[in-house]
Order: sequence, then C-alpha cells, then structure tokens
Amino acid sequence: MLKGQQSWVFTNRPMITSTGVTGGPFEANGNLAEDFDRLYEDLWLEQDSYEKAQRVLLEDAIDIALKKANLNKEQIDFLFAGDLINQITPSSFAARTAQIPYFGLFGACSTSMEGLALASFVINNQGAKKVLTGASSHNAATEKQFRYPTEYGGQKPPTAQWTVTGAGVALVQENQPGQKNPVITSATIGKVVDMGLSDPFNMGGAMAPAAADTITAHFRDLEIDPSHYDLIITGDLGRIGHDTLAELLKKSGLNIQKGQLADCGLLIYKEDQPVQAGASGAGCSATVLYGHLLNQLKQGKYKRILLAATGALLSPLSFQQKESIPCIAHAVAIEMNN
Amino acid sequence: MYWIRIIMALFVLVCLTSCAEKQQMKDSQLALIKATDPKPVVTDGKKGSEQAEDIKHDVSSFPEIYDVAVVKGKNGALVVYKVKHMQRFNMKKIESKVTKKLEGKYPKEKFTVSSDYKIFLEVVRLNEKMRAGTISNQNADKRFKEIVKMTEDMK
Amino acid sequence: MAGKKNTTPEQQQYQQLQQKHEKKRPVLKNCIKAFFIGGLICTIGQAISYFYIYFFNFTEQSVGNPTVATMVFLSMLLTGFGVYDRLGQFAGAGSAVPVTGFGNAVISAAIEHRTEGFVLGVGGNMFKLAGSVLLFGVFAAFVVALIKTLLGIWGGI
Repeated sequence: MLKGQQSWVFTNRPMITSTGVTGGPFEANGNLAEDFDRLYEDLWLEQDSYEKAQRVLLEDAIDIALKKANLNKEQIDFLFAGDLINQITPSSFAARTAQIPYFGLFGACSTSMEGLALASFVINNQGAKKVLTGASSHNAATEKQFRYPTEYGGQKPPTAQWTVTGAGVALVQENQPGQKNPVITSATIGKVVDMGLSDPFNMGGAMAPAAADTITAHFRDLEIDPSHYDLIITGDLGRIGHDTLAELLKKSGLNIQKGQLADCGLLIYKEDQPVQAGASGAGCSATVLYGHLLNQLKQGKYKRILLAATGALLSPLSFQQKESIPCIAHAVAIEMNN
Repeated sequence: MYWIRIIMALFVLVCLTSCAEKQQMKDSQLALIKATDPKPVVTDGKKGSEQAEDIKHDVSSFPEIYDVAVVKGKNGALVVYKVKHMQRFNMKKIESKVTKKLEGKYPKEKFTVSSDYKIFLEVVRLNEKMRAGTISNQNADKRFKEIVKMTEDMK
Repeated sequence: MAGKKNTTPEQQQYQQLQQKHEKKRPVLKNCIKAFFIGGLICTIGQAISYFYIYFFNFTEQSVGNPTVATMVFLSMLLTGFGVYDRLGQFAGAGSAVPVTGFGNAVISAAIEHRTEGFVLGVGGNMFKLAGSVLLFGVFAAFVVALIKTLLGIWGGI
C-alpha cells in the first residue's frame, strides 16, 4: 500500500524465511566471516573466469537458501536478482541454471534493496507465494569492468572502496504467524540524485546525498521518528560517505543518535584490511543484511532496522566521457515477527 | 607483509652478489666503482711509454676528470676517463675539450677518447694482463684494436 | 559535466560539505615512499646494467636494451605472482614511472583478458593501458625530431 510520496507499507508483513550468503577469501578474513554460509578460499571458485565465479557465488547462495527452507526450485515463483557486470549476465546465467521465472534488476549497489522491496511488494499483494531475491558482486570482475586490471600497480586514493566478493539471497514468503523470522514492514524507493561529483574513486561522497534523500523521505512518508529504528544502516557508503551522510541528516533536522547510524561497507572488513575507505558492491549490502544483520535481529540485538542501500549509476563509458555520477538509494525496514 | 619480504629478499640478493667478490679483489673487479688509477700501458714494446705518461698527466689535469687510463697501441692511443658525478651532464663538452687538447699537443697521434665504463673496464683488464705477462704483445695489440672498435660501434 | 561551471548552487554547497569529509591523498608521504621505492628499483636496474657491462660485451651506451628487457621481465614475474599491484599501492609513482611500471601495465592487462582468448582477449587488450603511453611517446618523439630537423635546416645548429 502506497503511503506518502514514494513509500510502501506492507500490511501483510512478508517474511524472510531463509537466506543464503556466500563470500570469497577476502571476506573470510573479514569481520563478519562467521555470518557467511559458505566462504571460498579461492577467488576463482574453480571456474575459468571471474564472471563465471560470480555466477557460481549466486547459484550457491540460491541453493543454500532453498536447502535451509527445504524447498525445491519448482516451488519458487519468482527470482529478483541483479549485479554490476555488463548486462547483469552473472544473475541471468544463474537464473538460467535455477529455472525460476526471473526479473533482472539493475540498481548498481542498491540492487539488493530494490529486489527486496519488489519481492515484498509482490508477496504483500498476493502476486506470488514464494520469491527469491538477491544480489552479487565479485571484486576482480567488477574491478576489471570499472577500473584497471586486477594486477595493475596503480595507486588507489584513500577515498577508494573495495568491491565485495559475495552473494546474498533471501527467500521472501507470506507471513507465517508465530514463526520467529524477520518481516519486511515498509520500503522507500529512492529518486536519482546527482550532486555533480565525478570521481569514480570517491563513490561514498557521491552516494551520500541519495541516501540522505531516501532516508528523510522514508521518515516523512511514514510519519515516524528515527527513534523508531534501533539501527539505520546504509549499504556501501564507506568512511567518507558515512561521515557526510551523518552531517546531511543532522542538517535536515532528523534526530539520529550516535551509534544509531551504521554502514555495511564499514562493518564487513577488519580495520587492518587494505580496503581504503570501506567496502562497496552489490554484494556488500546483500551479504551483510542477509547474513550478519538478520542474525543479529534473530538474536534480539535489534528490534527494527532500516537498511538504505545506495547505488552509483555510472558506467565505465559515462565517467570516461566526464559525466557526473548519478546515485540512487532504496530503503527497506525490517523487524522481527512478534 | 608479503611484498615487503620480497623486496627485502631482492635487496639482500643485491648485497650478497656484490659482497661475494670481496676476497682477492683485483682492480678490474672494482673498476666500475672506485678510482683505480692504472698506469698507462704500451702494447708496442717499450717505445712511447713516456709519451703515454704525459698523455695521462694531461688528461688528469682536467678538474672534471678523476680517473684516467691510457693505452698506446701501434697506430693510435686510447684515452679513457671517468667524469665526476655532477659533471656527467657535460660529458659531450668534456669529451670534445679533451680531444682538442690532445690533438693540439700530439698532432702525430691518432686518439680515441671515451668516457664509457665498459671501455675503462676493458682497458684495466688489458692492463692487468700485460703486467702479469699473460698476454703477448701481439695479442695485446689485437685486443687494443678490438676495444677501439667497440668505441666506434656506439657512435 | 566538466568543470564547475554547470553546477547548481545546491550542488556546489554539497560539494563543499563533502570536501570536508573527503580524505586527501597524503602527498608528501606518497612522494617520500615513491622516492625510495623508485630509487630502489633504479638501483636494481643499475646493478643489472653493471652485471651486463661486467660479464658481457655491452658498453654503457648499448647496455640499456638488455637492462630494460631484464627489468620488464622481472616486473612481469612480480605482476604474475600478484606482488606488483601491492607494491604499486604502497609506492605509487615510485613503481609506475620506471620501465617496470610499463611492463606491469602491459602484463596485467594481458593476464586480465586471458579469459577472452588469445586473439580477442590478450591480443586486443594487452595495450589497453600502455597503448596511450606508446602512442604519445612515439608522437612526442616525432615532434621533437621534426623540430630538431627543421632547426637544423633553417637555424644551422
């Protein structure tokens, strides 16, 4: 049900009954390693290209999510998935393997929440019974497309971010009363915001206004106060974007406590890992939400969270042609079923 | 970290290869690094050794030059020198100055002037062999011509 | 959107706000690191060229070619073993400016596109990064040679 200008409230409370989270070797050394279902020691995943490796990450995440829920692929109605590689081939190829009716999404790093919002909407309005949604990214495949070759010895500035190797998949279905599972209560779809920044090595700074725009719109549309949530967490803003967002939200008059605002890109890796400003990539918010954050919800550390995943909608072509970086953010509110 | 170890290993390797040659250093082994100041040699018997001394003295008098080797062969003299580090920008100028001075003073002699380390090294090696008597005059002269040819190759 | 001309006041305001939080490159620290690592690479190069002078028949003039070839070969090995990109992150220009950086640019692109096959992948992309260095290097050499030739004809230098 539409509320306000750009938000959905899911009165039927669609439920996340199962998740599958896979990661690469760099994530295995990271902060949240125990929240992954499967971690690979090798960046290639025994495939002969990084693009195939990314496909396997997503395929495995889907398999794990289904196995945990004791379901077959045939019982799933739709798959909402996307990633960053060219024509989102890793997601489409994984959908070919899965043989589930498929929506391919592109929202750059915000794809995870775009998918979750759409999946929840479809479930909420009886468009389907069981829907899978997920996003994936692969460090080397993304670097290859957007930046330099992996082994190229160029120096990255301290504002650069490290693309996560990983995939996160969630199974969304109708609310099962009495089950202790996270439910999706509302979502806010963001507008494209462009503040004229054009440095592809400073995505956080470019994406922060989009996150601020969506988060303020969420509170305006739903007529609630930030204290409604225990945690407001952004997708992959990194250190620079996170600090900028905090200041932007403060300026817009939202009363957000210290420690209430967090960022997936700052959680996933340890301090001593060479990631400059933090993590990024479509897999970043997907793995952190479907792994770490949902676990914390289940453990009762948080009651309600709002996740705003941000995406930089640039292409290698557009920034070479000196275009600025348009950005988007989608927010989804999740809480435990009572 | 991984790559720091790699760099250390390379560094140690470089040190070791240069230190390994410490025992029984001949001048030729150090000719690239320090001043050896070799005595001038004459491949053609005893004749002209005084003139060779003079040539060496003349070239050494240039303030930019710190190490001079002279070989006098049957038809011509080879003069090799090292230029002080900060003067290496003026190599060409120094070379023409040296050539001019020598040709003015010894108009009968045919001079080959070079500041190349390789030539210097070969001259020192030839010098050592002649002093040790392990090379005949004929062979020495042949080698002399080869070295002169080497200087021509690079022009 | 090149330049600041086309930005709206709102965008400018944000960019100023964002600048406060943006971490600057530590320029001085980077320069010092580049100086020492670059110096180290050049020292290794000098050692190699002395090696060729000493044991082979190369003069100071002609020793450049085998030295460059050896250095590029070494950087190729380091690139293949995944060391050079870490060195590059540490040293910046120190490892990019010497000829080893050129080798790295060629080899890293070749490795990266190996998955697209030898002809379209390796062949087509090998000079993706280094190609512009070659083009503008050759072009600059041409212009300089042209100027020198013309000065020689007209100016009699």
